[in-house]
Amino acid sequence: MRRKLVPYYLLSPGGLFLLVFFLIPLGIMVYTSLESGGLLSGGFRFSWAFENYTNVLGQYRVQFVRSLVYSIIVTVVALLLAYPMTYWIAFYGGKWKTSLLLLILVPFFVSFVIRTIQWKFILGDFGPILGPLKNIGLLPDSFRILATPFAVVAGITYNFLPFTALPLYVALERIDERLIEAAKDLYASRWEAFRRVVWPLSLPGVFAAFLLTFVPATGDYVNASLLGGPGTTMIGNIIQVKFLTELDYPEAAALSVILMVVMLLLATVYARILGTEDVQRAAGATA
Amino acid sequence: MSAVAAPARTPGELTPAPLNRPRRRWTRFILPMYTIAMIVYLASPIFVMILYSFNDVPLDRQNAHFWGFTTDWWKNILGIPGLGDAFKNSLRIAPISAAIATALGALFGLALGRYRFRGLRLVDFVIFLAIAVPEIVLGSSLLSMFVLAGVPLGLTTIILSHIGFSIAFVAVTVRARVQGLDRNLEDAAQDLFASPIAAFFKVTLPLIAPALLAGFLLAFVLSLDDFVITNFVAGPKTTFPLWVYGAQKIGFPPTVNVMGTILFTAGVMAAAVSVLAQRRRSSL
Amino acid sequence: MSDHPKADEQAAVQRALEYRLTRRSLLKGAGAGIAGFSLASLLAACGSDDGGTSGGEATASQNVFGGQPGDTLNFANWPAYMDQAKDKDGNVYHPTLRTFEQQTGIKVNYTDVINDNAEFFGKIQPLLAGGDDPGYDLIVISAGRYFTTLANNGWVYELDPTKRPNFDANAASWAKDPFYDPGNKYGMAWQSGITGIGYNTKLVNGSITKMDDLANPAKVGTNSVGMITEDMPNLVMINLGIDPTTSGPDEWKEAAAWLQMQKESGTVRAYYGNDYLPDLQEGNLKASMAWSGDVLYSKVWLLLDMEYVFPEGGALLFIDNMMVPAGAQNPAGAAEIMDFYYEPQNAKKLTEWILYMSPVPKTKKLIMEDAEKNFDQGYKGYARKLEATANSPFLYPDEEFLSRTSWGFADWTDETAEEWDSIFLPISQG
Repeated sequence: MRRKLVPYYLLSPGGLFLLVFFLIPLGIMVYTSLESGGLLSGGFRFSWAFENYTNVLGQYRVQFVRSLVYSIIVTVVALLLAYPMTYWIAFYGGKWKTSLLLLILVPFFVSFVIRTIQWKFILGDFGPILGPLKNIGLLPDSFRILATPFAVVAGITYNFLPFTALPLYVALERIDERLIEAAKDLYASRWEAFRRVVWPLSLPGVFAAFLLTFVPATGDYVNASLLGGPGTTMIGNIIQVKFLTELDYPEAAALSVILMVVMLLLATVYARILGTEDVQRAAGATA
Repeated sequence: MSAVAAPARTPGELTPAPLNRPRRRWTRFILPMYTIAMIVYLASPIFVMILYSFNDVPLDRQNAHFWGFTTDWWKNILGIPGLGDAFKNSLRIAPISAAIATALGALFGLALGRYRFRGLRLVDFVIFLAIAVPEIVLGSSLLSMFVLAGVPLGLTTIILSHIGFSIAFVAVTVRARVQGLDRNLEDAAQDLFASPIAAFFKVTLPLIAPALLAGFLLAFVLSLDDFVITNFVAGPKTTFPLWVYGAQKIGFPPTVNVMGTILFTAGVMAAAVSVLAQRRRSSL
Repeated sequence: MSDHPKADEQAAVQRALEYRLTRRSLLKGAGAGIAGFSLASLLAACGSDDGGTSGGEATASQNVFGGQPGDTLNFANWPAYMDQAKDKDGNVYHPTLRTFEQQTGIKVNYTDVINDNAEFFGKIQPLLAGGDDPGYDLIVISAGRYFTTLANNGWVYELDPTKRPNFDANAASWAKDPFYDPGNKYGMAWQSGITGIGYNTKLVNGSITKMDDLANPAKVGTNSVGMITEDMPNLVMINLGIDPTTSGPDEWKEAAAWLQMQKESGTVRAYYGNDYLPDLQEGNLKASMAWSGDVLYSKVWLLLDMEYVFPEGGALLFIDNMMVPAGAQNPAGAAEIMDFYYEPQNAKKLTEWILYMSPVPKTKKLIMEDAEKNFDQGYKGYARKLEATANSPFLYPDEEFLSRTSWGFADWTDETAEEWDSIFLPISQG
């Protein structure tokens, strides 16, 4: 009888913590999103202010859509970049597999703020890359990378590459190489072996990578803030400004709730189709 | 720092049959070259960071211009007022939050990986959410809660928030390891020992130790590097990433690069240790 | 904290009327919003006052600033707003702060964490509203929305006029009794400055003299101009001939139209807070709205090819004020350091370094004397810089100069703030 309760005992300390510092705050945010008032006049009051939602949806539709679009581009590019790399390491890495994987991850030990600023140095209008190219006339003086959507998308892709690479690696690494052997024995070319054997088997990893990249990337704001310009504002920037600068907590909370609900829907759909195990296994492999 | 579960091999197999290597020479090199190029690309800002830690700026804020070489910044790591405190705060917060997150998360992961119970799927989903939720949503909601409850913002709220988002990561790390373990070992231990608790400490704990270490390191790094959530809940206190983000608005001093290099080196060493430790272990 | 006698009914009601909140009222109040209040909940809170939860008051200032100052002082300020030097060990330190420490024995924890009035306000407001110690004894807030809010809500202490002899003797006329803070009840000017235009002389075509130049691709090219989000509405209004202090939504829409036109011309690279400077210094920006001290600092100390311009239509004047947040641990120490910086020698050291407008006019003569001294000693280049500093209209403006500056819109309430934001924010957030 007691044995049945063991998992609940194990879950309770962590579960309690998550309840208080994860689930309840999310609930409070929903509560805050239905408040009205202003900080300068003395505070906010709960008032079933659903107009907050209609206001922000009307006002920030562009930024929402833009964030989703950027995110999809980021995820697709990240997948394209990460797949060949993880494929090679998984199948040809041999005893260097783990070390190679770590080599990929080790730059991300350093705070991403520092890394992004360094990119800003590198990509400056007259910096070490663009400067010489402009001097020899290959590029017009007005050419720039920073403060463009390209820079923002590139920055987000760079920062989230580990989240893409690891699930892919985990999925690819588990594929039994003898299956490829068998395919080749049956006269499949390398490409066909890939297409018919490796790719389908790696799909769970691809989906996991997709979700683990797309969801956080949509809410990112630091890259847009450091590398972007007018016309690159993402929904994360709006939320951050609303919370910390405008101090308009209710509308900011409404935006956050909308973002969370959209991501939740995506996650639920995914979980229904594929189960969350692959994502968790992938996340576990980030260690 | 790796807890990648080894792929299950059917008993009786020793080594996989050798692969058919491709015949054409040049295509053999595309993928490895690409991988190496990617690794270099991913590390490029690190090289820049290390280089600029020797930047001989006339005052103490640097921009993109490289003035010349000096080791001054390496000699006075705590020389910038405010930055030293921020760095110390980060180094104080990270181990505490990582330790608590590891303890709580390990129990969680154990439960998830080993037992079937009602509500498993729900808990699974919550863990998945905790990993995937955008940081800005979590940060702003924690702020709302702390303010509503009248909790003063500071180191404590930072630590609590960090534990909150780290638990899930530790849990899945431990879970992955636990799922790969042979249940018979534990049962055998129980036949030999009196209580489940003793079995836990003498058998289970050592078996999941690598995952505990990996989880701790992961939580440590997550805490050290966190910006978005910390920005919301720190109140008047600063941490290293927060300080750097604020400072970069007018240019941060090379000391930041020095500290970054130190953290990077520490990370590399930790990774190297973990790889060696893994090599030494035979498959368990 | 304060050692005032336990509140009686009279003081309790007075506190209530000054919109002060204790933590009790936060939790009890109808609809526990962030700083939700209703008069009923306030009175209920005061009725259950337990003497221990209250933070500082905005009244009875003598009690707060009296007594011995504490051993440490937490001073929050903007970056690049304090004099700096390297000591022989290579550590960066602040000479005037060190002098203060030696004179008074109070150790100063100086942090330049204020990057934005709104953001900093947002960080300390929850603590102030809850009656908690915000963690700072002295903060520097620009005259404007947040200064007014802090003052009106009793979230800063009323200053003690008997504790500032240097201020009374040496402060400039614009620093004494300003329109946003009659009688200097809540703040004393730290420094002032101009919001105008800074540009890289080598990168623009010709020279920049007016706001319209910033919307002219022929002069500045495309994607090369920076605008400061918080200040741009006011500066644009001034240059359109509108007086911001009396402006309303119609005038704001005019300014917004100009900003939209500028955005469409393609010249704007980004909308900044206080972080335009690195981009301007690195040449990523050819020209930008800028604060006078930042550009002068880059030009004089960093020897960059930059120039600072007072736009033809007029410029914005800002004043950053020292304030003592309610709940501070060491208000007496704060009062001491506030007056310390009105002593001409200290003010001079500060201004020589940060190149902003000093509220102590006597520093002009002192800087000239410094220039002569250095010239005699053979440091001719340094002497010339000091001389230029002393003669700069951006640091020591005359009446004519000041008449062409404006304060900007100041009638802040939740309604005006919301209207303002709804008109101007979409431009920078589009």
